[in-house]
Amino acid sequence: MWAYFKWEFKQFFTNKKNIAVYVILLFLGLYFVLKVAPSYEPIEKVDVAEMEARFTTRDDFIKSVEGKDNIHPSVAFALAVFPQWNEYDRARIDAINEKDYLKYAEATAGWYLYSDQLTVNGDSFFYNPLYYTYGNNYAHADGHYGYGYTASRFTGYVEGSSELSMDLFEERTALQTLQRMLNDYLPIVLFISCILLSVDIVLKDRRNPSLLKGFPISDWKKLLMKGLVAFVGSILSFVPLYVVLIAIGLQNGFGDFSLPVPFYSYIEQNFTNMTMSTFLLKNILFIGVWFLFLIAIILFLSIIVKAEFANLFVSFIIIAAEWFYFERVMGAYSDIERYPTSYVQVGQVISGYRNFVYQSPDLTYQHGLTIIGCCTLFLVILTLIVSKFKRFKLIA
Amino acid sequence: MLELKKIRVQFGDKQVLKDISIKFQPGEIIGLVAPNGTGKSTLMNVIMNYLSPNQGQVILNHELQYSSKANEVKIHQGVSMMPDQSDLYNHVSGKNHLKIYQAMWNSNPKLIEDTIVQLGMESYVKKKTGTYSLGMRQRLCFAMQIVSDTQVMLMDEVMNGLDPTHVELISQILLQKKAEGKTIIIASHLLENLEQYADRIFFMKTGELKLVDELVPGFTDNKVTTVRVSNFSQEHLEVFKKQFSGLHVQTLPSGKTLIDVSKQDTETLGSITQYLIAQQLTDFSFGKLTLNDLYSMEYQQK
Repeated sequence: MWAYFKWEFKQFFTNKKNIAVYVILLFLGLYFVLKVAPSYEPIEKVDVAEMEARFTTRDDFIKSVEGKDNIHPSVAFALAVFPQWNEYDRARIDAINEKDYLKYAEATAGWYLYSDQLTVNGDSFFYNPLYYTYGNNYAHADGHYGYGYTASRFTGYVEGSSELSMDLFEERTALQTLQRMLNDYLPIVLFISCILLSVDIVLKDRRNPSLLKGFPISDWKKLLMKGLVAFVGSILSFVPLYVVLIAIGLQNGFGDFSLPVPFYSYIEQNFTNMTMSTFLLKNILFIGVWFLFLIAIILFLSIIVKAEFANLFVSFIIIAAEWFYFERVMGAYSDIERYPTSYVQVGQVISGYRNFVYQSPDLTYQHGLTIIGCCTLFLVILTLIVSKFKRFKLIA
Repeated sequence: MLELKKIRVQFGDKQVLKDISIKFQPGEIIGLVAPNGTGKSTLMNVIMNYLSPNQGQVILNHELQYSSKANEVKIHQGVSMMPDQSDLYNHVSGKNHLKIYQAMWNSNPKLIEDTIVQLGMESYVKKKTGTYSLGMRQRLCFAMQIVSDTQVMLMDEVMNGLDPTHVELISQILLQKKAEGKTIIIASHLLENLEQYADRIFFMKTGELKLVDELVPGFTDNKVTTVRVSNFSQEHLEVFKKQFSGLHVQTLPSGKTLIDVSKQDTETLGSITQYLIAQQLTDFSFGKLTLNDLYSMEYQQK
């Protein structure tokens, strides 16, 4: 069996299509490093000019109405909340000027918490205008999420021991970039790579039938080895990512594995932090299970339908299905947590963002692992049963 | 020992193999002869279980049958079929092809080097097979099967694309494998070559295996049975038939005329010789019926 694994492994890595997939991934990585990453503009950036403008406006307002009688209730409210708000802004500005990043983190965490408390349920204030984009009916909720996320992150910096920097605050370090990518389209890119790498893992044997058909190894073991090779090959699609990480790390710092990554709890409606290492490990595990699921689909279809197009079509449908039914807050009235396709945005499931947009407490990492794992197991068992049929031929 | 029991294969209305029952013994080379499309490859595919017969069993060593997937693996450990040269991986070297066959059958690794030397493949075996000529590819396929070192070896057109030197070389290796106790089943169109080393030769016709000794009693006996005459004109032939009315005379599509003299005495042989010389037909020989003759009689006779 080991000999067969080695043979399949060699074939996998000398397959021109597979080499092309790795090269494309590498080019995508370089494009990200050279074009996408440098143009990243966070909503919650460290902007001293904006802080000073805010501070000055409020300070002028306080000075202009302070001591006056018969003021409008909204002015009274502003007078009650602005001093504290300005205190946070003053502390942030001073900390930046003094390059005291710990103090900045502490003040920023307080500023975001305070701002969120004032904004979330009232209509006097708004979140950062960048949340209010055209057509976004959930801008206010997004602002609430963004402020809570940022507050939790900065609290984590205060409580943690990481070396703080401006790049770290704006999530520009290599590990934070990876974290952002995982919350974005990186899992989809990896899943597409896995599909493209695995799509012909069984059916390619049709090009060399007489050479392979007589191998004294059962079809089931052949399929198992093919699945294992496809899995290892898919895991190795992470390699171009290392190039990205190193390039970004050299420019903006690498960050460290104890950095806080906020996790949103739908039940408690707040954020807690996990470490970067926990977040990354959970992602690797979840992506790994997704790889197994996609490979199991391809193996099963390869022995049933025996057409590469069917492999491509079905597996792409699996990863694209969520786009067809996704609507915000639909988790409140439908069982989207039961569909494996709802867990395709792996990073967002782990960080709780998916709970937030679906408004569902059940779309969790553990639930996702269980569903995807069970689907994989089911497909593997079906493949085993079919491959054990006496009349079954792996290579026709 | 490999036994085929009442193997029947039918494609639609056409019966390709008709209840074939036969046993192949260790240390035996079996020749299968037939034109293309008469069922030789089908028979081999049935032996390998690449094709499930409509009826019948393949039995290895009195016990193993293709009754389950586990048994299929066990049988394939003992029975192999030579790969087709068009199925080689063009981007993989010949040596790596040999290595995978050695590893898959867990045979003696020394066989790789021995076979390379024996077949004179040292100069190119490390190159990618995409650069090989037809003959080099064919030798590699043969070498792969030799390296697998299975008890039963099936070879379909093993001599295709080989020059006479390599045909002879492979023939010698086949005899060596026979001496080691291997059962070798060969489908070949190189009939003279097949005659040299095959213990039993079967013609496939209408889905049945016909042993040549049964088609022509005494075929393998070493005695004069036939006079082979070239350019026997129709006019001379008619006269000859009248003069030697007791003899069986047959003209093949190749133009050769065969005169059966298996039961004739020396006096008759002398008379035939005198007649032929008198008719200026000097291109004739005495000998036995060859496989080529038989093939012509069986498959090419109008």
